[in-house]
Amino acid sequence: MDPLLAAAALAGLVAVSTVAGLLWRARDGRVRMASASASVYRPSDFDGTVSFADQATLVQFSTEFCSRCPSTERMLRAVADGHSGVGVAVVDLTSRQDLATRFRITQTPTVLVLDRDGRERARSGGAPERAAIETVLTTLARSSYVVH
Amino acid sequence: MSSTDPRPGIDPRGPRFGAAITAVLLAVIVFTGLIGATTVAVVLYLLATALFAWGAFAGIRRHPWGLLFATFVRPRLAPAAELEDPRPPTFAQGIGFFVTVAGLALHLLVGPGALVAAASVAFVAAFLNAVFGYCIGCQVYLLLARAGLLGRRPATP
Repeated sequence: MDPLLAAAALAGLVAVSTVAGLLWRARDGRVRMASASASVYRPSDFDGTVSFADQATLVQFSTEFCSRCPSTERMLRAVADGHSGVGVAVVDLTSRQDLATRFRITQTPTVLVLDRDGRERARSGGAPERAAIETVLTTLARSSYVVH
Repeated sequence: MSSTDPRPGIDPRGPRFGAAITAVLLAVIVFTGLIGATTVAVVLYLLATALFAWGAFAGIRRHPWGLLFATFVRPRLAPAAELEDPRPPTFAQGIGFFVTVAGLALHLLVGPGALVAAASVAFVAAFLNAVFGYCIGCQVYLLLARAGLLGRRPATP
């Protein structure tokens, strides 16, 4: 191949990679609110170490091969420390493909926000922003008055 | 090179530094492969494959780029805010090794073009890691485990 053409092909590869990276970054960690008919879970649906907090539980799914999970976990614990009745649970999926299938987890970290009844209210694939999790918790705290 | 750091974990900038060098190496392979400098492309490709094997089997801490980073780059930087688990970047090296070996197999079975294709795939991953901090273990481990290509039985009784 002509060197000029080869250089153009290489530039194309760099361009495609850059677009892919920007798309990934834009989608990563986006928090989606669940529909009203979202699943309701019990602590026993997880790996046996999970217990639910009084108001809301932030469940983080991790694996050993997830470099971004430890920092996300620290962020979630800091958020939970600022809200009474909010807890954090971490579930390691490295050898638990069954749990990954049950909760439809395809990437780590994935964070579920469960309300006091264990209903999934929001989910984030990838590392969420702290502000997004705070917003979900605030919304949840408000809506719990309405429900009661 | 002697590590006196008592804390476990690695400087997270190390693997990204290494990924940048790997991305450049892979880009050179793609370019030389495309212009028909086949001998150069094949030799560099075998080198890249050997480097991935080194990282995957000896661990990311012993990878040549990691040693380069620890010796020449890290002393010039501020200490890392936090250290990271070495297992995710070691896993990424394993993925790189798998892709390059698959390229070699396809090269022998199907013919030319496979090396350039495999080097391009590996380039995209290395580039995303270096530039965007993309963590391949975060994205593909569960998919590969679901497909039955990877994964482990529960270790606890």
